[in-house]
Amino acid sequence: MHGPAQRAAPTLPPMRLLVERRFPLEMNVTLPQIRELYDSGKAERWNPHRDIDWSALQPEQYDAPVREAARRTWSRRLWMEVTGLTETPALLVRFCMETGREIDPKFFLTVRNTEEAWHIECYERLTAAFGGRLTRPADRGYESAFNRNLHRRVLDAGQHLDAYVACFAAFEDGLELELCRAWRTNASNPTIAAVLDHVIADKERHAAFGWLYLASRAPHWSQAERELIADQLTAHIRDTELKGYHCPWLAPEQAAAEAHADALSATAGLGAAARGEEEETMATYVANARHRLADMGVALPTFETNRMRAF
Amino acid sequence: MALSRDMSAQQAFEVVQTLLDAPEDRFPLTFNSDLPRIRELFHAATRNQWDPQIDVPWDQLDPDAYTEEQRYAARLYWSRRAWSEYGAISESPALQVRFGVEHRPSDMQLFFTIRSQEEARHAEVCHTMAERLGGYIEKPVQQLFEGSVATHGVRRAALSADIPLEGIIAALVCTAEEIAFDVFRHLEEITRDPVAKQVVRFIMRDESRHCAFGWYFLEAICETLTPEQKKMIEDSVVTMVEKVELNGYHSSWLAPDSPATRAEVEADRITYEAGLGSTIEEVEKPIFVGTLQRIRDQMQPLGINLPPFSHPKLGTI
Repeated sequence: MHGPAQRAAPTLPPMRLLVERRFPLEMNVTLPQIRELYDSGKAERWNPHRDIDWSALQPEQYDAPVREAARRTWSRRLWMEVTGLTETPALLVRFCMETGREIDPKFFLTVRNTEEAWHIECYERLTAAFGGRLTRPADRGYESAFNRNLHRRVLDAGQHLDAYVACFAAFEDGLELELCRAWRTNASNPTIAAVLDHVIADKERHAAFGWLYLASRAPHWSQAERELIADQLTAHIRDTELKGYHCPWLAPEQAAAEAHADALSATAGLGAAARGEEEETMATYVANARHRLADMGVALPTFETNRMRAF
Repeated sequence: MALSRDMSAQQAFEVVQTLLDAPEDRFPLTFNSDLPRIRELFHAATRNQWDPQIDVPWDQLDPDAYTEEQRYAARLYWSRRAWSEYGAISESPALQVRFGVEHRPSDMQLFFTIRSQEEARHAEVCHTMAERLGGYIEKPVQQLFEGSVATHGVRRAALSADIPLEGIIAALVCTAEEIAFDVFRHLEEITRDPVAKQVVRFIMRDESRHCAFGWYFLEAICETLTPEQKKMIEDSVVTMVEKVELNGYHSSWLAPDSPATRAEVEADRITYEAGLGSTIEEVEKPIFVGTLQRIRDQMQPLGINLPPFSHPKLGTI
C-alpha cells in the first residue's frame, strides 16, 4: 500500500520559474510539419496489450543465462524510458510557460508521452517474462548516468529551451531511434520484433519533432545562441553518452554487467546489438547529426575516447 | 538569463523553492501496480482514444443554419472552452512531474500521460468548433474577464513543496473536474446541434475517467492520513470552490458582476438558445448545487468535512 509523499531533502538552490502570460492564446497551426506529427501520432495509436502477440515470446525456449541477460537488457531500457515520465511533462510545462512558444509542439508532446508510457508497459512486460524487473544497475556507480534531473533542468528559466530541444529531443531521440533500428535488425524473437517495430514508429516521430523544431528556430538564433547550443550538445555527449547511458560498453568500469547482458541478448536475437554494431551506429549517427547541425550554424567537435574510434 | 527569439526580455520569472530542489534518485525503480484501479483507467483510456479530426462528423456542422449573432456567441463560448482545456495541458503534466518526484505509484504517472493527451484533444476540438463557426478568438473580449479564466494556480501548487498533493487532487480533480463533468453531462442533454453534442459527448467520456482517478486516489490515500492532513485537504477544496468555481471559472454567471461578465453571460445565453453547446444560469444552477452537495457527501466518509458555501446567486449550499 502506498502512503503520502516520499521526497528527498532539498539540497539544490531554488529554481527560477517563468511566470506564464497566457493571453493572447495562439491555437492556430504555425508549425504544420509538427502538427502533422501530432495528427499521425493520434492516427497510428496502438495498444501494447492488444497489438502485440505476447504468446510468441516463449521465454522458456532460452536457457537461464540468456533469460537473465534479456532480463537485464530490458530492465536497463526501462530505466531509460521512465525518464520520459517526468522529462516530457516538464518539457511540456516549459513550452506552456515561455511566452510565444507555439501550440503544435505542446500538442505533440502530449502524444509523445503516451507513447513513452506504452513503451514502458512493453518493457515492463518483457522484464517480467524473463524473470522480473531489476530495480537498479549491478554497480551503484552506474546509477548516476540515469539520474540526470532533466525535469528540473528544463523547468529552470536559465535553461535555453532551444538548446534543451537540441540535446534531448533532436540529438538524443535521434540516437535512440538509430539504436532501436540496430536492435530490431538483430531481433529474431517475434514478440520483441513487434515491440521494436511499434517503438521505432513512435521514435521516428519523436526524433523528427526535435529536428523539425530546431529547423524552425535556427534562422533566428544569434551567434551566441549557436555557441551555447554547441556547448550543451558537447557536454551531453561527454557527460551522458560517453558515460554509457545508451551504450553500456562505453563505461565498462561501472556498466560491465549491462554490457555483457546486451552482448548475450544480441546473440540470442532478443533485441540488442553487438558492441561493434552499436559503435558503427553511434559514429554514423553523430556524423550525420554534425552535418545537420552545421547547416544550422552549430559546430559539433570531434569526440575522442579510448572506448571507440574518434567520432 | 538566456533569451530566445520570442521570449521577451521582460518575461517575468520568480525564484522559488520547489519540490524539485533535491537531486534525482530514481533507484530502486519500483514500478509495481500499487493502484490497480488507476492502472485500469490507463488501459481503458488507451482502448477508448478518439481523434477530433476523424471521429467528429464535421460535415454535419452547418454554420449557415445560425444567425451571425449566434455564430459569434458560439465562437466566443467554444474559444473560452478551448482556453480552459488548454490550461489543463500544462497543469496535468506538472502534477505528473510531482508524482515522479514523490515516487507515487507508477499507475498515476502512466494514467496522466494519456490524461494530458486527452486535454490536448479537448483543446483541439474546442478550437476547431470555434474555427468552423467563424474563427477562434484568442483572448477574452473584455480584459476584465481574464481573471476568471486565466488559471486556477494548480501548476504552481503542483510544484510547491508546501502544498500536499492530496489537497491538490481533492481540489482539482474531485471538485473542479467533478463540477466540469456534471456540466458536460448537462450539456450533452440540452445541446441540439449534432456536432456540438458529439464533441460534448467525447469530452464527457474522458472526463469520467479523470474524475474516477481522483476518487480512487483519495480513497486509497485517506486511510493513511492524519486529521491534520485531512484538514489541509479541506482547506484546498474550500479554496478551489470559493476562489475558482464561485468566481466563474466554469460558469460565467458565477463571476463577479461587471460589463465583462455580463457580455460573457449574454454570449452563453445566445449559444444555449441556438443549441450550440452552452447553458444558462436558470438551468445550470440546480446542477451546480447538486454537484457541490454530492462532493460534500462523497468526501465526508473519507474524513473530509466541507463547510457551507455561499454565493449571491446561489445562497448557501
